[in-house]
Amino acid sequence: MIEKTDIGKEELLTGYRNLVMERFMDKKLLNASKQGFLPFYIPLMGHEAIHIGIGLALRDNDYFYPYYRDFGTVLQKGIPLDMIMSQVFSTQDDNELGRDMPDHFSFKKYNIGAVITPVAGHLTSATGIAYAYQYRKKEGSIIATFGDGATSTPDFHVAMNFAGVYNLPMVFFCENNGFAISVPTYPTENGAFDQTYEETRGQIYKKAEAYGFNGIRIDGTNFVEVYRQTRKALENAKNGPILIEAMTYRMGPHSTADDPNKYRTNTVTEGSEKDPVIASQKVLKDMGILDDKAIESINDEMDKKSTDLINKYEKEPKPDKHTILDNLYEENPWYIDEEKGDIQ
Amino acid sequence: MTMVKALNSALDNAMEKDDSIILLGEDVGIDGGVFRVTDGLLNKYGKSRVMDTPLAELGIIGFGIGMAMEGLKAIPEIQFQDFLYTGMDQIINQMAKLRYRTNGDYTLPMVLRTPYAGGVHGGPYHSQSGEVYFTHTQGLTVVTPSNPYDAKGLLLSSIELNDPVIFLEPKRSYFIKGEVPEDYYKIDLRKANVVKEGDDLTIITYGPSVPLVNNTVNKNNVNADIIDLRTLNPFDLDTILKSVKKTGKVLIVHEAPKMFGVGAELAATIAERAIDYLSAPILRVTGLDIPVPFALEDYYVPNERRIMEAVNKLLNYQ
Ligand SMILES: Cc1ncc(C[n+]2csc(CCOP(=O)(O)OP(=O)(O)O)c2C)c(N)n1
Repeated sequence: MIEKTDIGKEELLTGYRNLVMERFMDKKLLNASKQGFLPFYIPLMGHEAIHIGIGLALRDNDYFYPYYRDFGTVLQKGIPLDMIMSQVFSTQDDNELGRDMPDHFSFKKYNIGAVITPVAGHLTSATGIAYAYQYRKKEGSIIATFGDGATSTPDFHVAMNFAGVYNLPMVFFCENNGFAISVPTYPTENGAFDQTYEETRGQIYKKAEAYGFNGIRIDGTNFVEVYRQTRKALENAKNGPILIEAMTYRMGPHSTADDPNKYRTNTVTEGSEKDPVIASQKVLKDMGILDDKAIESINDEMDKKSTDLINKYEKEPKPDKHTILDNLYEENPWYIDEEKGDIQ
Repeated sequence: MTMVKALNSALDNAMEKDDSIILLGEDVGIDGGVFRVTDGLLNKYGKSRVMDTPLAELGIIGFGIGMAMEGLKAIPEIQFQDFLYTGMDQIINQMAKLRYRTNGDYTLPMVLRTPYAGGVHGGPYHSQSGEVYFTHTQGLTVVTPSNPYDAKGLLLSSIELNDPVIFLEPKRSYFIKGEVPEDYYKIDLRKANVVKEGDDLTIITYGPSVPLVNNTVNKNNVNADIIDLRTLNPFDLDTILKSVKKTGKVLIVHEAPKMFGVGAELAATIAERAIDYLSAPILRVTGLDIPVPFALEDYYVPNERRIMEAVNKLLNYQ
């Protein structure tokens, strides 16, 4: 086992700053959607430590195939803010020209896959990408993220099986937030979310064993821990796949179309011990990297920065309506050309 | 050579030229495919390029998509089109939409090959003609050859395309023989083939029905244009309209069921653009609107009698 997980103070501090930025962005984007500036939004609260940890662990030649709840990872990975924000607000500069929902990124030149809405729809593609790495003897590994609900799909099991059979350089990363919309990962007697996973039937990380590789469960509220385990997994994936199950809690609603009060009472609230921002603060404080003064000034800075960004991008123009017929095929068929007249 | 050999020759020619081409599927390696289309290729190119996969169509298709996203050119084989449906989500939601929804950030040059339609007494699950599931999915190119020469040329053109192709191989024609060059050659994917020229009516057909239509027309001395579409979506509108304007009468023949089929789209398109040229209703001879019955399959598929009834109805129409 290789242990190349050392990380400098500066990087950790950058990670923390992005973590706070993600928290502010999340709250304000949710707000923007309530005010009608965004037709749809997928909240992130509770996932920040996972996102930043993975973002820190990614090297340039690694490939990241995200799902729809991974805003902070692309932020930490260093994708230009303009590209991220243009996508989130579907502006005319969005590289997808507003064709997909907010946070459904596609950044090929940064080795980032095209987020797909159908749950787990990217997992077999991710294993195919891992095969291409293996075939071309490319440096780096592939990491794909998904929720706990995704582990019920055929896609997850087929992808795990292929990865095991071909011994692919692949990290399966489950962001276990306890819920698939309203359905708990493993319902307890009263149907509520149960924090004591060890006692429940369901331990997602153990599914790896059946496919011939290792699975581990980690704390998904501490980004330093997520970084260490993910970096290690990406290094070791050269020798075969691995499954990581990171435990956290979805502190917000599933999406802007969801009211969680119908099906649960929040067991993790903002500012509590298990809030990833608080948990990560504690770790950095213990390491002597962060103090209360820095926490406050980073808060102020990110509060302002996030407001400025959102104010700017919510006013950016949308793509030209005539572009919607472009790029279905390399050379569009005659009937697409004819439909141009239908756009007035 | 047979259509199977022609397809094999196309794959061989392409793989020799381009080491990014990877074949994958159930039994395509050691066994050479259940219809032998990939016979001998494992020995020549090795198991990293001719991959026997686990039994999961969803995985075969998704895996191929991933390869194509990362610069390889995957050619998955689905053993029978009937078994492809567990991978249908990947086809509709990932393969067909990737270029569009990313505005070309990702493209998917890949060819999904699969045998379809009847002819081997395969019952409800080895005989399906599911082409409309693909033709009605925006972003796919759907190609189906009718003879060995076209099979090779169309497959090579499909492999060179920068977009995903569903390549439907009519298994009833797999062992038809024809002249096929050993060398690399291509056929325009957006041009239909006028198999035979005539003045009295236009018969539009494709894939497994082309030999039947051809034999019927020749045997009964029908003076018809026969158009083999080759590509179902996007089909070659110009060739169709040119012929329809000349003959004024149209018969569409396909093995897939009639209701909501390819024939319906062709008929509507012709009516929209050339109704003033028509001197008779557009007729269809197709498979029946039932699953393919095992023992009595012959009653399901179009035949000479049904085609001639329709031809005579059109010719005698006042
Ligand atoms: C195949 C599929 N079924 C249903 C949906 C609707 N849906 C969107 S997200 C979701 C829950 C997913 O839960 P999980 O995988 O745990 O991820 P989370 O959203 O909690 O991060 C559902 C049911 C979908 N997008 N795709």
